[in-house]
Amino acid sequence: MELDYLATVLLSSLASASILLIATIGLAVVFGLMGVINLAHGEFLMIGAYAALTTTKLGIPYILSIPVAVLITMAIGAVVEILVIRRLYGRIFDTMLATWGISMAFLQLAVLIFGTVTPGIGMPQYNFQIGDYSLAGYPILMIGVAALMMAFVYFLMTKTVYGMKARASIQEPEMARAIGIQSARVNTMTFAIGCGLAGFAGAVLLPIVPATPSMGSVFVIKAFLTVVVAGPVTLTGSALAAIGLGGGASVTASFLTSVAGDAFFFLITATLLWLYPLGISAKWRWKM
Amino acid sequence: MKKSLVSIGVAITVALSAQFAHAETKIGAIFDLTGGLNIYGIQQNNALQLAVENINANGGVLGEPIEVVTYDAQSELSKYTQFANTALLRDHIDALFAGLTSSSREAIRPIVRKGNVPYFYASLYEGGACDKQTFVTGSTASQQLSVLIEWAVNKYGKKIYIMAPDYNFGTISAHWIHEYAKQNGAEVVGEDFLSLAVTDYAPTIQKIQASKPDFVVALPVGANQTGFLEQFSAAGLKDKIGLVSTNYGSGNQQVVVSPAAGEGLITNQGYFMHVDNPTNAKFVELWTAKYGNDTPIVSVAVDTWNAVNLWAAAVNKAGKADAGDVIAALESGLTFDAPNGTVTLEPGSHHLRQNIYIVEGDDNHGFKTVETFTDVIPSYEREKCDLIANPTLAKHFTPDDK
Repeated sequence: MELDYLATVLLSSLASASILLIATIGLAVVFGLMGVINLAHGEFLMIGAYAALTTTKLGIPYILSIPVAVLITMAIGAVVEILVIRRLYGRIFDTMLATWGISMAFLQLAVLIFGTVTPGIGMPQYNFQIGDYSLAGYPILMIGVAALMMAFVYFLMTKTVYGMKARASIQEPEMARAIGIQSARVNTMTFAIGCGLAGFAGAVLLPIVPATPSMGSVFVIKAFLTVVVAGPVTLTGSALAAIGLGGGASVTASFLTSVAGDAFFFLITATLLWLYPLGISAKWRWKM
Repeated sequence: MKKSLVSIGVAITVALSAQFAHAETKIGAIFDLTGGLNIYGIQQNNALQLAVENINANGGVLGEPIEVVTYDAQSELSKYTQFANTALLRDHIDALFAGLTSSSREAIRPIVRKGNVPYFYASLYEGGACDKQTFVTGSTASQQLSVLIEWAVNKYGKKIYIMAPDYNFGTISAHWIHEYAKQNGAEVVGEDFLSLAVTDYAPTIQKIQASKPDFVVALPVGANQTGFLEQFSAAGLKDKIGLVSTNYGSGNQQVVVSPAAGEGLITNQGYFMHVDNPTNAKFVELWTAKYGNDTPIVSVAVDTWNAVNLWAAAVNKAGKADAGDVIAALESGLTFDAPNGTVTLEPGSHHLRQNIYIVEGDDNHGFKTVETFTDVIPSYEREKCDLIANPTLAKHFTPDDK
């Protein structure tokens, strides 16, 4: 095996893992801090993608359309939390069913609003060379984006008042309420942030994955499995699971076939859940 | 698009409430009007409604208007079985127009065979479906690939890489690529079969670079696999390696793909909206008057239009809508002046002899014609499937079985 091929494979596999992580963090935050599995996560991603796409079409530069997408998905997320999620606290299966229903409604709504095909914005045609192999630049950039996203969530959860309240509300809900934290409001914020992160993912991945009404379904399965494998330690757990599963699948696909890559992803997921039913981070000491 | 959905709604309501109207013939339409496959299903259904309206405006069949019963299969396979049974047993239809995927067709075929109702499958597909009741108006993999591979080998060179979806459309198409590569003195230097859920094409793109092909035959199915084209171009491969496809554009992927990635891609099908002939000009005018022009017409729409018109011609020729007589009329070598050029329904194979257009993506989400192959024969189906000599044949031929 030539060295340049190996380097290309490792770099692009890290990029694949980062893309998975970007798509997963929002789901992990909502699951980790609220115990809610949001099966409409993929549709929030799709909304983020369409929000960025529409904003770009209005003539605003792509980079500025990303915050717009985040704000729009956060607002929709807050509404969904207030109308649906908050009425189902503690009923994990009911929440899953409700969010699944929401996902179907959003999908069909997207078909009605945008039709089945919408012009994409395309990927920046920038690439670089490693030995004999050229790599698209934009996916590699996602490694940095994933790292920034992790740093942002870490900062938000540990260094801000909101973050402390959010963690207090989930770890000691009664005590949190006793000292005057309005856990309902905190939860609305948490869900909105989770959806905002999904919207960010949809917007930032738009050049790689074109916006289509059904784009969410691709991400939601792997993101969901990554969160389940990660377990309770939201950030480190998700990062490790995404690198192991996403990166591993990509390396396998490079050396064998794409089908083998997928098989790797699901087999390792099954094995890890068999070994660690509560996720790999169940017995870890740190909390983020 | 909003408008066309509303009009579908209206059409369904009209169709459902039209029970009282006197009609000599009744046809069933099962397409994916919602869910992931509706990129195709909505256009198939629109084409069917338009064809029926057009026939009815010109006197209908047997002097009476055709009645339509519409069902929404919701991109779910089980709905095809359910609605096919409903259409035959409850609604007593005279002909069925249904399905996009091969699995939906295979779910329907046993039902129409048992009920003895002519069934039209209007979609490009891997080829080989063969029984007395089934008529295919789309082009088959071998029909498209026979001309495409020869063209591409002459244009780009003799080393081929295959990127295909991992199910029978992909694997059977890959078989034909191997076959036609051999006939043209070319070789397949690598292949990758991908699940429909893959969004990360970096491994495939590296493998393509490692095997150094002259051109790639890419058969991306579904929205996710469209991302492959974007990534292929962004990695800078488009300038060095040719890319040809038999299904790019069949779901208007050229609208989704950015002009930078779409320009210069080669694809071939039985119909493209820009095809230049008077029949197509009239067809496009009818279509845009009813559905607007915000989405280009795809080949499955024309396949459906052709199917309805061929059936109507057969009923008029037979003088009644009974299955046996209509099938006999369909097997009489019917030709039809279609938007994609004259098509001929082959009596033995129940497939269409039709034009195949090789086109190239332009820089504005559209295509321009590179070469037109007229009256291309569905040679594999003709070779395997002779329903005149062997009317009880009921098979799905694949190139692997002997």
